[in-house]
Amino acid sequence: MSNGVTKRSLQEKVSITLLAVMGALSVLSFIVLKEVVAPAFDELELVQAQSNLNRAEKAIANDLENLVAIAGDWAVWDDAYDYATGEYPAFEASNLDRPTLTNLDLALLAYYDTAGDLIWGQASNGDSLVALAELGILEPGTETAALLITHAELEARENGLLDTDIGPMLISSWPVQRSDSTGPIAGTMIMGQLLDGTRLARLRERTEVMLDWRAIDHDADVPAALQTPLNGSSAGSMLHESAEDEIVSSGVLVDLFSAPIILLDARTPRQISALGQSTVNGALLFLSLAALIVAVVAWLLLRSVIVLPLEGLAKHITGIRKSGDLSQRLNDTRADEIGSLAGEFDKLTDELQEARKLLLDQSFKAGKADNAAEVLHNIRNAMTPLINSIDRLAKDLGVTDGLKVRQAVEELTSDECPAERAGKLLQYIESAFSHIEGTNRHASENLGVASKQARQVEAILVDQEKHAKVSPVMENLPLHEVLDEAVLVIPKTADPEIKLELVNGVSQCSVRAHRVGLLQVLGNLILNAYESIQRGQSHVGRIELSAVTESVEDKPMVRLIVRDSGCGFDDDFKQKIFQRGYSSKQGNLSGLGLHWCANALAGMGGRIQAESRGPGQGAEFHVLLPVAQGG
Amino acid sequence: MNTQHQNDDSIRILIADDDEHILDCYREAFGEADATDHMKALDALEAELFNPSTDIEDTPKFEVVSCKQGDDAISLAKEAANDGHPFDVVILDVRMPPGIDGVEAGSQIRDLDPDVEIVFVTGYSDVPREELERRVPPPMRLHYFNKPISFMKLAEDVASIVKAQ
Repeated sequence: MSNGVTKRSLQEKVSITLLAVMGALSVLSFIVLKEVVAPAFDELELVQAQSNLNRAEKAIANDLENLVAIAGDWAVWDDAYDYATGEYPAFEASNLDRPTLTNLDLALLAYYDTAGDLIWGQASNGDSLVALAELGILEPGTETAALLITHAELEARENGLLDTDIGPMLISSWPVQRSDSTGPIAGTMIMGQLLDGTRLARLRERTEVMLDWRAIDHDADVPAALQTPLNGSSAGSMLHESAEDEIVSSGVLVDLFSAPIILLDARTPRQISALGQSTVNGALLFLSLAALIVAVVAWLLLRSVIVLPLEGLAKHITGIRKSGDLSQRLNDTRADEIGSLAGEFDKLTDELQEARKLLLDQSFKAGKADNAAEVLHNIRNAMTPLINSIDRLAKDLGVTDGLKVRQAVEELTSDECPAERAGKLLQYIESAFSHIEGTNRHASENLGVASKQARQVEAILVDQEKHAKVSPVMENLPLHEVLDEAVLVIPKTADPEIKLELVNGVSQCSVRAHRVGLLQVLGNLILNAYESIQRGQSHVGRIELSAVTESVEDKPMVRLIVRDSGCGFDDDFKQKIFQRGYSSKQGNLSGLGLHWCANALAGMGGRIQAESRGPGQGAEFHVLLPVAQGG
Repeated sequence: MNTQHQNDDSIRILIADDDEHILDCYREAFGEADATDHMKALDALEAELFNPSTDIEDTPKFEVVSCKQGDDAISLAKEAANDGHPFDVVILDVRMPPGIDGVEAGSQIRDLDPDVEIVFVTGYSDVPREELERRVPPPMRLHYFNKPISFMKLAEDVASIVKAQ
């Protein structure tokens, strides 16, 4: 009866469990890769973008440092000093010409005296010379001019960025002094390099950073995220904007007055995140495949190591339960727990088979005993009135037999009998006849009761005969097991010269039969063979038991042959050997009776045959029985 | 339940057996006093005429109460004991379906009357005598007969048992 719970096979449960584990592992891997690994790549990419911007800023700073170094060379120089003080005019012809700007990659070179008046100056927009006034930063009276053109101390320097009218420029302003850095200050030397497209290209080449910059209007609002300039602090602020294929990292550069002047953009292709995504996808694919392979391998392993053996065990148990055949064994030699379980189940089956055998024997005996007791009870009850009727009849007849009627008649007929005695004799004769009449009547009644009770006994016996026709319990029986038990009929004190041997096929054959009945039949045949040899002249002989499986009338049958070297028999005896009531004494056979054996085997669907080449030449009894079911 | 031969000198017997035919046999065996009056007169006349020195044997008389179940036997024994006329002998069949068996009935009757002689008569031999003696002591007041039996012989044995008391 179903209790509402869906039954699943072990194989289904294992499959579902493995699929669930595999699914959970895949989901967990997906989450870890997406939420932990992929963001790590993004973070790394962001670090790279930050590094790119820092490299670009550092490259500009390096350019500025180079410019400062060059400016230092040209400002702290005796020749330049003398030129600034007017003592060496030839300095201009030999050093301050157009190639000088080009060679030094300068956009501005100017010398001022200590009064702030231009001694010599030249500017270039990269293509041609321009007037210094066009720069817009050296006009007298401007804040920038005041900062750059005059220096109060030998150590004073002004280095940094300035926005000019021809573009943002790296500026370095030094006080002109002796080569040994002594003064007094003779004037100011100013150098500048334009941050133009050419420089941008060189910076890109040097840094391998996709760099861009653009000038910022002084009045423009700088985003809050960029308030700290890249060149004004050790940790300038940056702004990263991520697009699908690149990250644009932005930072601000300030001029000498700490005003934002340039917005620096470093574009970083999103190669790392692309690589990360590819890696994550590859890892997901790998993990999924690995999980699938692990699940398949685990499923195959579990199936071969656990599921199939357990299914085999379950099938074996179910087979035994359905067939009731306890002779089947697993014989599993695996050296693991399932092998142990199978071994223990085989032992359990052994014990169960033995217990069933004992139970069948006991049931058979108990059934016979109960039946016999019941029949005896009924017969005794029926016999009791019968016996009592006969007892009463015997008693009455005994009394009648003892009556002295003849003596009384003789006395009465005698002339010497006194009258008084004669009267009493007549009374006695009358009473005696009255008793005889009563006895006759009682005899008739008692015989009637006896007859009725005798018929009751007969009815009990007829009824018992019906029960005797009940089919015995049939079971699969390994032949060697039955024979091992049947041979015990031979006395322990048996003549050692009589050999009993189990030969071909006995251990391989199993039959379908009633165990106790077959046991008695085989015991009878073996005992007959033993006694037949014993009755021979030599007292030396051999009993051989063999078995083969063959087809008899299209049915698989086991032929068991009990062959002895005993007395044998002639053809006349062979014709009568299985007849009812035929004594075996003539043929030197004894036991329960071959007639009973033949009937018992017929009740099991089998039969028996007897063969002998003649007296003194041994005999063979062939027992044919159906092959065990499923065997 | 059936009662016959009520007489103060008679042997009071309670019989329980589930087979009506067996009960008839009991009644006949233990109830022949009336039928033997004629025989006793004949015997007396024969002795007077042909053997004057012979004494006429006094045949015992039985008062028989019968029933077919063990419970009824217990009730009858209890009732008799309460009336002050306990039974001398109780004869019980061992198996009396569907009620309690004779051994249980005998055990309870023994509890009611320690002196009553209890006789088991059965067609079964599956209750060992040792078991009967254990459940219905004492052995000296316990008797066991296997069917088939001669009820006339049983009547004589019962009379002997009572006489030996």
